[in-house]
Amino acid sequence: MAKHATAQERLFALRETIAKLEGKTPTLVSEEPQGERMAATGKGSRRIALGVDELDAALEGGLPLDGMTEIRTCAMRNAGAGSGFVLALAALIQQQAKAPALLWISDRFSNVEAGLPYPIGLAQYGLQVRHFLHALPKKLEDALWLAETAAASGALAATILEIRGNPSAFGLSESRRLSLRAKAARRPILLLRHASEEEASSAVFRFHAEPGPAAERVLPNGTMLGGSIGFPVFRLTLEKSRNPAPLSFLLEWNSRDRQFCPARQPEPSRLAGDATAHSGPRLPASADGSDRAAALGRLLAFDRAS
Amino acid sequence: MRLTALDEVATELGLRHGQGLAEARAMYPAIDVAEEDPTADRALLEAIADWCDRYTPLVALDGSDGLFLDITGCTHLFGGEQALLDDILLRLFQMGFKVQGAISGSPGLSWAICRFGHGGVIEDGGGEEVLASLPVASLRIGGETIAALNKLGLKQVGDLLSMPRAGLARRFGGHLLLRLDQALGHEEEPISPRRPVALLSIERKLAEAIQAEEEILELAARMALSLRASLEARGVGGRVFELVLFRVDGRVFRISAGASRPLRDPQKIAGLFTERLKSVHDELDAGFGFELFRLNVLQHDLCEASQDNLLGKAEGEAPLADLIDRVSARLGEDVLQAFQLRESHIPERAVFAHPALGHEAETGGKPYPAVMTERERPLRLLARPEPVEAFAAIVPDGPPSRFRWRRVLHDVARAEGPERISPEWWLDQETAQERDYFRLEVASGHRFWVYRQGHYSADYRPTWHMHGIFA
Repeated sequence: MAKHATAQERLFALRETIAKLEGKTPTLVSEEPQGERMAATGKGSRRIALGVDELDAALEGGLPLDGMTEIRTCAMRNAGAGSGFVLALAALIQQQAKAPALLWISDRFSNVEAGLPYPIGLAQYGLQVRHFLHALPKKLEDALWLAETAAASGALAATILEIRGNPSAFGLSESRRLSLRAKAARRPILLLRHASEEEASSAVFRFHAEPGPAAERVLPNGTMLGGSIGFPVFRLTLEKSRNPAPLSFLLEWNSRDRQFCPARQPEPSRLAGDATAHSGPRLPASADGSDRAAALGRLLAFDRAS
Repeated sequence: MRLTALDEVATELGLRHGQGLAEARAMYPAIDVAEEDPTADRALLEAIADWCDRYTPLVALDGSDGLFLDITGCTHLFGGEQALLDDILLRLFQMGFKVQGAISGSPGLSWAICRFGHGGVIEDGGGEEVLASLPVASLRIGGETIAALNKLGLKQVGDLLSMPRAGLARRFGGHLLLRLDQALGHEEEPISPRRPVALLSIERKLAEAIQAEEEILELAARMALSLRASLEARGVGGRVFELVLFRVDGRVFRISAGASRPLRDPQKIAGLFTERLKSVHDELDAGFGFELFRLNVLQHDLCEASQDNLLGKAEGEAPLADLIDRVSARLGEDVLQAFQLRESHIPERAVFAHPALGHEAETGGKPYPAVMTERERPLRLLARPEPVEAFAAIVPDGPPSRFRWRRVLHDVARAEGPERISPEWWLDQETAQERDYFRLEVASGHRFWVYRQGHYSADYRPTWHMHGIFA
């Protein structure tokens, strides 16, 4: 009997290790009713829900607050969408954090291309600008050191690191270092990569961000103001996660209420080469004029030519 | 080309200042000529002045070839005035400089004795006697006055001393008498030190020079510990610290580090220098080691005493301030910025960035003074508005229907605007044009902030600019 108990114990420890490796809370895998023990040993990672049920389910509860999340754009022209999504996440985190300070570590080239963060715009976007710090390091090594130090200090609600492309100086080992720091200090790092390829990294999740057409502004009576530009919409693809396939969705950031909601319009069908679904001309049938000329000759139903 | 400086051999040969180079070469074909480099001379003089900091913090440059040291209250540290002078002259001689030095009650007298006398220490009251035998040029007066005095047969200062002052003043102006009084010590003459005097300072002289970074930091921490008592006595904490390292061969390194709040804790002060040393690592050449260390407090602020709790941690620790200090020390103060608002409608003027170091807002003190605009502003603002090729669909006030920015053609799907922003005539010229801003969403879903500068008219086509990017 005693031997059986030891075997059970070992089996249990192994299960717990595997669960940790997979990043799940051990309670999810345990079938045995050993609840109180779980509560004592297993500390689940802290998550922040994005408020969209479908997405939160895909993210297993939300964005990890003790890890690194990567947001990438495929081209520099999408910098607005990438920055917008990152800052929306930061606003969500800042809202709930005890220490509200945010640090944006920018990349010089991206600043020239896409502009510097603009505080009034940030405030309207839902961030507390009083607690917004902006860093302009000269080199990538400095930026990495800064991100590491900032995350490890635990003084910030979130650290945003902006990088352009896939520099060789920021490889797998550097990203691993960053995510370990984040894990140790239990503070999130948001990695914003402009104009980059998909690359293996130790980020927990990776999003691909593109801009989507914004919905129209909602008037107080519930109708839409035609031709207006409302809250920003992002076309996001969850590229790296535990889901078997990448997940695409349209998300709207409501900067007034500081929350995400699924965008209302359906996703337009995306065919290769941006071709429209109905390739023929869609002219209305003429109503009050003469009909088109009938085809000349007689129409015969021939058999297939043999 | 003319000769501007001569060494001993050349002087013995009979060459003079201002002599033509060709003439000197004709007399002595073997002379060695080096072109004058005033900047290098200046740098050398400043390096020597830095080195002289070991004797007193008050060191002033005098022309291109002299230094004033205010040694009031310092002499006892070096065993008296004569010992101090001997020490300076000996050390400089060993470095290869021929230096004349004098100690006296006034800068003017020392200057005169150094350049026209034999140097040495002049006791108080002995100035008049020594000065009397020196030529009038030793009074630091202009060439014309010297010539005029010589013409009258007044060759030595002693001749002037016996003359009635009123006549001298009438004939040569007040400047001559002022110089005379300054030399005799009747008139106070301040020297202007090169560097601000540290508020607090602590020094360690080492018997054996040290080189390693860890040893330097350890020493800095120990000096900071000794500094703590003086800081506490004044009820202040240091904001700007400076570590001065005197290398064995006379080179001096200064490393300064700022803190975002008044600091007293020795470990934290040493921590600032840990980051600073890492960032100046390449420039700090230890050579044969450093023999003299000084820790200066250049700026301090009131700081409430806080009591440590039982765990040894002071109440109200500020991890953010620590982070700002560390980053500013390592990467420079300009790297980390915070933002402030300003009352202006012009978007780029409504905001300014300033170093986060010394920023009060994050400590929760100062609210934002300026009122933020209600109109929508972009997330990212381009440093300079970029020209855009565009035409308004509806003249004169409409948004563009398509535009070309950075060689990419965008079709405008929707537009909001215009928001008209007038120039600030009290800053800009009066000819500055109004801007009409539009929020545009293009067919691909990107959202931009574009403005038109000026208005369409019969003979004027306004320019369009891209100014910002929305999410």
